[in-house]
Amino acid sequence: MTCTQLTEKLDDYVDDLMDQAASATLAAHIEGCDDCQHVLASEHRLRESLTDYGESTMPQPDAAFFDRTLAKATRSGTRRQRNRWVMTGVGGTIAAGLALWMLGGMFLKTPDIAESGIPAIAMTLEEPRTLNLVFSSASALANATMTVVLPQGVEVEGFAGQREITWMTSLTEGKNVLPLTLIATSPHGGELMATLRHEGDDRTFRVRVTVI
Amino acid sequence: MSPVDHNQRASFDALLRPHLDRLYRFAYRLAGSKPEAEDLFQDVLLKAFARLDDLLEVGEPGSWLCRVMYNHFIDNRRRFARARLVSVEESQLPGQSVDSLPGDLDPVRDAERLENIMRLEQALAVLSDEHRLVVLLHDTEGYKLEEIHQITGDPLGTIKSRLHRARARLREILGADGTNARP
Repeated sequence: MTCTQLTEKLDDYVDDLMDQAASATLAAHIEGCDDCQHVLASEHRLRESLTDYGESTMPQPDAAFFDRTLAKATRSGTRRQRNRWVMTGVGGTIAAGLALWMLGGMFLKTPDIAESGIPAIAMTLEEPRTLNLVFSSASALANATMTVVLPQGVEVEGFAGQREITWMTSLTEGKNVLPLTLIATSPHGGELMATLRHEGDDRTFRVRVTVI
Repeated sequence: MSPVDHNQRASFDALLRPHLDRLYRFAYRLAGSKPEAEDLFQDVLLKAFARLDDLLEVGEPGSWLCRVMYNHFIDNRRRFARARLVSVEESQLPGQSVDSLPGDLDPVRDAERLENIMRLEQALAVLSDEHRLVVLLHDTEGYKLEEIHQITGDPLGTIKSRLHRARARLREILGADGTNARP
């Protein structure tokens, strides 16, 4: 046994990870070696300082911090229930959980549910209407992608002639409202699809648009 | 609140409460400052409630929560890296660093401990994030190597090597300034 071996095995010796025989041999060497006793004493001081450091540098939260944080998590947290996206439904009637409403003047009106189960809205030619897609996310998400595919003869205000529009968006935790101002330019109508994607997860919102 | 909601909240509270102290300490060791640690802690509780179904099924909620926190910290490192810069700035301000210790009544011994801890703090600041974290978790917070492996997902050999290198570096720094060489 040499002093170099203590240097090499110091961690294992202090952590008591050596086998019993090797540990006993090293202990016998240390007992007769002033240098190794000094090294070992230094190591014990370092470990003691590291333990001391834990208590002396750890700030304490204020007394109500845990209660407050638990309450906040359960109050504002939305349970994912194994799906990243949690949709909120208006009146709980929409099977897919899609919530949307039409803002028409001063009143709020939920869309009708067509026989197919897809929500339906009626528009008047050349009259802008705002369709709000409402969804909830269990947590804030950055770099989500929204793609809207429009039926023939329906445009998003500011994007004349485009049947498909894609843009990046971010979601806050909880309820998010995404307004789309639509204009019907011809009496065709059809199905509007809005797809939200994030890290391989996606949800598609479908709305049947009729133009009168 | 519906009875179901009430039960879910009660389950969540009962499940998490025994682990909150440890989770808070873990957040502080990761983030390095109180405000950022509390942000991290709150983020993770929100995530945990959103995944209550998963949480109810895991055998060791404490380790699961630490793992979620560690992953969240890594995913948002840029946001939380801010804390390290702030804490360095703050540590240079008078009265912002360690200035008292609990426990000892012997003023000489107290002063010596305080000096050691302040030097240790400076030495820890020199280590890489990975080395500092593993030495703080193992030697300061008392985590076992296997627990650190479960939380970080890093191989056991890598963790052991980081711990060994971190301690060697601390010995080198503290030995050089005489702190650890004092008999």
